[in-house]
Amino acid sequence: MQARHVQSSYRDRTDEFSGIVESRRRSIAPTAANNAPYGSGGRREDPRSAAANQSEFSKRASLIGLAIHQTSQKLSKLAQLAKRSSVFDDPTREIQELTVVIKQEISGLNGALLDLQAVRNNNSHDNDERSISRDTTSHSATVVDDLKNRLMDTTKEFKDVLTLRTENMKIQEDRMKKFSKISSKESANPFVRQRPLASKPSPSQPAPLPWANGSSSSSSQLVPSRQGEAESSPLLQQSQQQQQQQQQMVPLQDTYMQNRAEALHNVESTIHELSNIFTQLATMVSQQGEIAIRIDQNMEDTLANVEGAQSQLTRYLNSISSNRWLMIKIFFVLIAFLMVFLFFVA
Amino acid sequence: MKITALLVLKAAPEATDPVILANASDVSHFGYFQRSSVKEFVVFVGRTVASRTPPSQRQSVQHEEYKVHAYNRNGLCAVGFMDDHYPVRSAFSLLNQVIDEYQKSFGETWRSAKEDSSQPWPYLAQALTKFQDPAEADKLLKIQRELDETKIILHKTIDSVLARGEKLDSLVEKSSDLSMASQMFYKQAKKTNSCCTIL
Repeated sequence: MQARHVQSSYRDRTDEFSGIVESRRRSIAPTAANNAPYGSGGRREDPRSAAANQSEFSKRASLIGLAIHQTSQKLSKLAQLAKRSSVFDDPTREIQELTVVIKQEISGLNGALLDLQAVRNNNSHDNDERSISRDTTSHSATVVDDLKNRLMDTTKEFKDVLTLRTENMKIQEDRMKKFSKISSKESANPFVRQRPLASKPSPSQPAPLPWANGSSSSSSQLVPSRQGEAESSPLLQQSQQQQQQQQQMVPLQDTYMQNRAEALHNVESTIHELSNIFTQLATMVSQQGEIAIRIDQNMEDTLANVEGAQSQLTRYLNSISSNRWLMIKIFFVLIAFLMVFLFFVA
Repeated sequence: MKITALLVLKAAPEATDPVILANASDVSHFGYFQRSSVKEFVVFVGRTVASRTPPSQRQSVQHEEYKVHAYNRNGLCAVGFMDDHYPVRSAFSLLNQVIDEYQKSFGETWRSAKEDSSQPWPYLAQALTKFQDPAEADKLLKIQRELDETKIILHKTIDSVLARGEKLDSLVEKSSDLSMASQMFYKQAKKTNSCCTIL
C-alpha cells in the first residue's frame, strides 16, 4: 500500500493518538454516570468520533492511493498497446475499452478525492480543538495534496498516451493510403475524394462477414462512415448478402439516401469553413492595412525631418562660406593682438 | 473509375427475361479476341440483374471485378457495369439521368418491345464516354471537389497573407528606425547651426 508507506514518512503518530484517546475515555467514563447524558455522550463521542474520523480518513486515503496505483498500471499497459504501431494487428477495440475504463476510474478518483477533502474539512469544523491538533490537520492536508498531485500526474500521462495514440493512427492511415494507392495505380490527384477503400476495410475490421444478417450492415456502415464517403464497402457487403438473401432492399435504399444526405451535409460544412476562412482573411488584410498606414506616416515624418535638416545645413554652409563675418572676425583678432602688443611693450 | 457498359432494359414481370432496349459498351481495354465474349457477358449479366431487381429499387451486385448497378423504375431498368472505384452515388445518379433521357426521347414505346432492339442509341454512347469521370454524373461530387480546391487555394492565400504581414511588420520597424534617425540628424544640424555663430 503506497499510501500507508507515504503516511509513515510523516512521523506516524496514530498509535500515540489512539493511546491518548483510550486514556481519555477511561478518565471520562467514571464521570459519565454522574453527568447529564447528553453532555457526556457528546464529550464521549468526541474522542471516539475523532479517532473514527481519523481512521476513516486514513482508510479512504489509502483506498484512493491504491486505486491511483492500479490506474497508473493500466495506463502503462495502454501506453504499451498504443506504441505497438503495426499495420495489421490493430488492437483498436482493446485500446478503446481500456481508455474508457481508465477515464471512468480517473473521474471516480477525482470524486473520491473531493469527498476526502470534504471529510477532512468536516472533521476540522465539527470537532473541538483539543481532539484535532495542528499536526493532524497539517498531516491530513499533506496527504490530500500528495494524492492530488499523483492523480494529476496520472491524468497528464493519460493525455500523453492519447495524443501518442492519435499520432500513431494518423501514421497508420497514411501508410495504408500509400499502400492502397500503389495497388490501385491511380493518379496522384489530391482533389479526389474517393479513396480506394475496397482494399482498406478488409484487413483492419474483422466484423463484416458476408453471411452476417442485416444488423451487421449498420455496424459496418458506422465504421466506414467515419472515413467519409465510403459507400463502396457497405454496399459491397450488402450486395454479397443480396445474392443470398433478398431482404436487404430497404437498407440499400436508405443507404443511398443517407449517402446523399451525408454528402449534402459535407458540402454545407465545407461552405461554412470557407466562409470562416474568408472572414479571417478579411480581418488579417484590414489589420495589415493599418500597419501600412503607419509605415506611410513614418516615412512622411522621416521626409520632413530630413528636409529640415537639409535646410539647416545649407544655412550653415551659407554662413560659413560667406566672407563678411570672417573679415570682421579676423579684423578683431588682429586689433586685439595689436592692443595687447602695444600695451605690454609700450 | 471506369464504366464498362450501360444498358437499358425493359424489366418484364418475373417470368420472362428482360428485353434489351439500348446498349453501349466500352471494351477497348480488352484484347481484340475477348471483346465479343465480354459483350455477351455484359448482356447476360445485365439481363439477370435486371430480372432480379424489383421495381422502384436500386441494387448493386458485385460480379468478379465489376460492380453492376441496376435501377428499376416502373419496368424500365438501367444497368451499369462499373469497376469498384466508381462511387456508387454517382453511378445511381447516372442511371437516373439515363432513364430520364430515355423516357424523354422514346416516350412509352418501349413498353411494347418484345425482343432486343439492336439500334444503337447515340445518347448512351455519349453518356458512356462523358461519364467516365464520376464528377460529371454527380453534381454533388463536382461541387465538393471544387469546394475542396477552393479551400486549398484559400489556405495558400492565407499563408501568403501571413508572410505579407511579417514583411509589413519588418517594414514598419525599419521605417520607425529611419524616422528616429532622421530626427537625430535634424537636431544635430540645428545644433551646429545655432550654437557657434562666432568662431
